[in-house]
Amino acid sequence: MTLQTLTKPWEPMSYGFLDGSAKREIRRKMIKAIAVPGCQMPYASREVPMARGWGTGGLQVSLTLVNPAMRVKVIDQGADDSVNAASIRRFIARVAGTPTTMDTLEADLIQSRHRIPEEVLREDQVLVLQVPNPEPLRPVQPNMSIARQMHADADYGRMWLQLYEQIVRSGRVMQGASYPSLVHGRHVMTPSPIPRWDVPKLHMAKHLTILSAGREKRIFAVPPYTRVEPLVFSDVPYKVEDHADLTCHRSGTRGFFMNEIPQDDGTLVFEVSDSAWGVKAIRRRDGEEVALGETWYKNGKMPS
Amino acid sequence: MAYVATRGGERAIEQSQRLFKAEMGEITPERVAEIRAAMPYLIDRVMGEASLYDEDLAALALAQTGGELYEAVLLLRAWRTTQPRIAVAEPVTQEGLFTHRRISATFKDIPGGQVLGPTMDYAHRILATEVLDGEVHRPDPVEPAARPSPARQPSVAEWQAENGLLTAAVPDTTVGNDIPDVTREPLLFPAKRAHTLQSLARAETGGVLALGYAAQRGYGQAHPTVNELRLAEAEIVVTHPRGTQFSAGRVKVSQAEVVDKKGDGLRLGFAATLGWNEVKVIAAATLDLNAEGAPKGAPTEEEFFLYHTEGVESSGFCIHFKLPHYVTFQSSLDAMRDAKAQKAATEKSPEPAE
Repeated sequence: MTLQTLTKPWEPMSYGFLDGSAKREIRRKMIKAIAVPGCQMPYASREVPMARGWGTGGLQVSLTLVNPAMRVKVIDQGADDSVNAASIRRFIARVAGTPTTMDTLEADLIQSRHRIPEEVLREDQVLVLQVPNPEPLRPVQPNMSIARQMHADADYGRMWLQLYEQIVRSGRVMQGASYPSLVHGRHVMTPSPIPRWDVPKLHMAKHLTILSAGREKRIFAVPPYTRVEPLVFSDVPYKVEDHADLTCHRSGTRGFFMNEIPQDDGTLVFEVSDSAWGVKAIRRRDGEEVALGETWYKNGKMPS
Repeated sequence: MAYVATRGGERAIEQSQRLFKAEMGEITPERVAEIRAAMPYLIDRVMGEASLYDEDLAALALAQTGGELYEAVLLLRAWRTTQPRIAVAEPVTQEGLFTHRRISATFKDIPGGQVLGPTMDYAHRILATEVLDGEVHRPDPVEPAARPSPARQPSVAEWQAENGLLTAAVPDTTVGNDIPDVTREPLLFPAKRAHTLQSLARAETGGVLALGYAAQRGYGQAHPTVNELRLAEAEIVVTHPRGTQFSAGRVKVSQAEVVDKKGDGLRLGFAATLGWNEVKVIAAATLDLNAEGAPKGAPTEEEFFLYHTEGVESSGFCIHFKLPHYVTFQSSLDAMRDAKAQKAATEKSPEPAE
């Protein structure tokens, strides 16, 4: 036996950037997170060659999960061509040799910031959501160690109180994105700053969702076929954004989450937020043969 | 009209990086060597915050980022975290430090003596504008003392402990890979002692100063007196697979011990870091001194100051607000408009009196 047979040839970087010990830790923490849905699992969270707050948590999970046969899609605010999405996609492809795609149907792994695609995800797909703040209790308890204790006790009274106060003051729940949701009837989690429109897509979904906060060093998960229920009072129903009747001015697609674009003349137009969906809708309209997947929302409504 | 999914984002990224780099010109080995030679204290600060002792890499990181400190530290941290761990060095003791500077404010003189060492503390801070007019500043040669001060010095706290002024800390006998490592495991609270000291060692200097200063000014419970401040070199002693111990070299370290009276004794705050960073270790030791019993949410509470002095995390999060947030904004707008519409509707049609 020689030293050479025991070692691998020198390489400037491990496959997928992270070294074996970092990946092993993340795998273990992901398994724990899947075993206790919605419960935040602390992890070491290594530095990666991107600034904290720019998707480093999602990136560490993606780098741990990928192999050269996995097709990767990266979106930011629904768009594949957003600069930071482009940067993350390029990085994953560079260090892991993965093919990339913009089509939700073709993707094996989707890393996303603040959106869930409009097409229904399948059992063989994994969604990795970037999380800026993993703690739904932060607005009522900024101290992480106290908040951790509150989760352990399922002490969500202040959370409910906050929602109640909003209804009293403003006539409705004022939470925009990051709507706190009860996972598997036990842990309240933040679904990350996805719009309220997207939260019902997580409920009993076929796909696995991993949520990872790099800066805050927490991983949590929604396993397939798991209940995800937004916190609502029985007499005040959950309200998604009022986008059901909006039409995309570019693709003509209707009944999906839209971006509102102010115009010079003071008016507004709307553009579908899921950019890949918009592109496919235009291609289809222009006569190309494009596969459109089934969508979660049908005619602007989420079937219950 | 076709909606083309451009890859414009990627081109824009490439060109914006070119613009940034164009400003700095060529990065050459000479430039890196000059940064290393000319700016030892900047190098020390970056090495401390990166928790990576390598002057060449630190100088390279500074050259590559044009001196953007947060970026330089991130470059080094991202490099550091991928490196294999070959060995864990023997613990460094105060008595074993090759000491260049060591002062105490608690006594006029201390066993081993006050050693001023290299410092500009008593310099008059006058800008040497003549250099810009072509005059070269050559440092006057150092005149060696007739009796050199000893290279190794006893610890002041130890003397105080022997004389019943403070309770000596219980030595931690954990060795090797059993020592908790904050770079490989999450920081949880109450924090392990090793995690606290490691986090302070790699904390961002400005952040530690801001919170340490707040504590010193009066938002803390304890008023620090510098018991001992040291700039030194530490021997990195590692064990060869054959079993022999040898020195792999020396690293510059700084450490501060601050004390405050607590009942009829003294309590101790401690901090140490790689490189010579006096301001940082005094401020960090002040935070350590104040941490015990600090109320939740106070700037002197461990969770508060350890989270908020993490430079890579805080700077990264701060600049992340530049990223588009239009989806979250849209979601808030929707709730606001709806609340407004509801309010307007109820104002227009007041409930009929019953």
